Amino acid sequence: MTTRISVKNAETGSSVEMELEAENTVEEIIESAASYWEVSPGAYVLRRGKAVLRGQSTIVEAKIREGDVVELIPDPEGG
Amino acid sequence: MKRPRVVSERKRAILERSPPPSNRSRPHFWLKDESRREIEEALAGTGPLPLYISKTAEAEMRNHSVSSGNQNLEAMGLLLGDVFAHSKKSYTVVKNVVTTDLQASGVSVSFHRNGFETLFDRLDEADFDYVIVGWYHSHPGYTCFMSPKDIETQRRMFREDFHFAVVLDPLKLQIEAFTLYGEGCISVPFAVYWEEHEDPYGRKKLSLKPR
Repeated sequence: MTTRISVKNAETGSSVEMELEAENTVEEIIESAASYWEVSPGAYVLRRGKAVLRGQSTIVEAKIREGDVVELIPDPEGG
Repeated sequence: MKRPRVVSERKRAILERSPPPSNRSRPHFWLKDESRREIEEALAGTGPLPLYISKTAEAEMRNHSVSSGNQNLEAMGLLLGDVFAHSKKSYTVVKNVVTTDLQASGVSVSFHRNGFETLFDRLDEADFDYVIVGWYHSHPGYTCFMSPKDIETQRRMFREDFHFAVVLDPLKLQIEAFTLYGEGCISVPFAVYWEEHEDPYGRKKLSLKPR
């Protein structure tokens, strides 16, 4: 059974619909979105509302549900 | 196990809109005279500048960099705004900035790992459908430029034409905006604008009506 969510790219305002399986992890969501938008996956965090979704959590552990909207947020470093 | 699969994309449209008018836009007061003149000339022209920063966002960035600079720390945050088109040119408007707790020294800065919830709170407080159009950070006392680490950040996260980096030096009172160009970054002209109901430079005449 798959779960369909929306992933918003905060840097462009675009969003994708993504199909997930229960074993998929947050890290894989970030990697898939980053690959689709051709950006570096290590440079982002994923948020749902006010919560950071942690990389190794599965979508079950992260309580990601059908229809959820998550957002890819840049995590810059300056020097 | 299958990997997550993208099944469709919805792109955000770039709306056609006039840039902030020249009577409500001006060069930043930390710029050198030569840069100020160039921007004033550009504002008097027909096409939009590449970047407009609201007075509110400018003041928040400047105050943040000054307060951090007083402790010899870098400041950093995200630029929230939108992208528009006018006269077949796109331009970026920064309406607001957001930041959170930082891991900072005098030569490096990033978001504190426990600071994201505060950052997300502030994103949710934005009263418009924002795009993160870039980032700002400060170089306290060592001028405005894009270091190798800054350029790497720009390449990894802010690689669209409408993405910008604003760098401030609160000790030398300098500010500069950059965008990616080739292997590095180039400085771009920008203006500070204000809304019609605002009067940040006290230019409106007082209207004293007799009682």
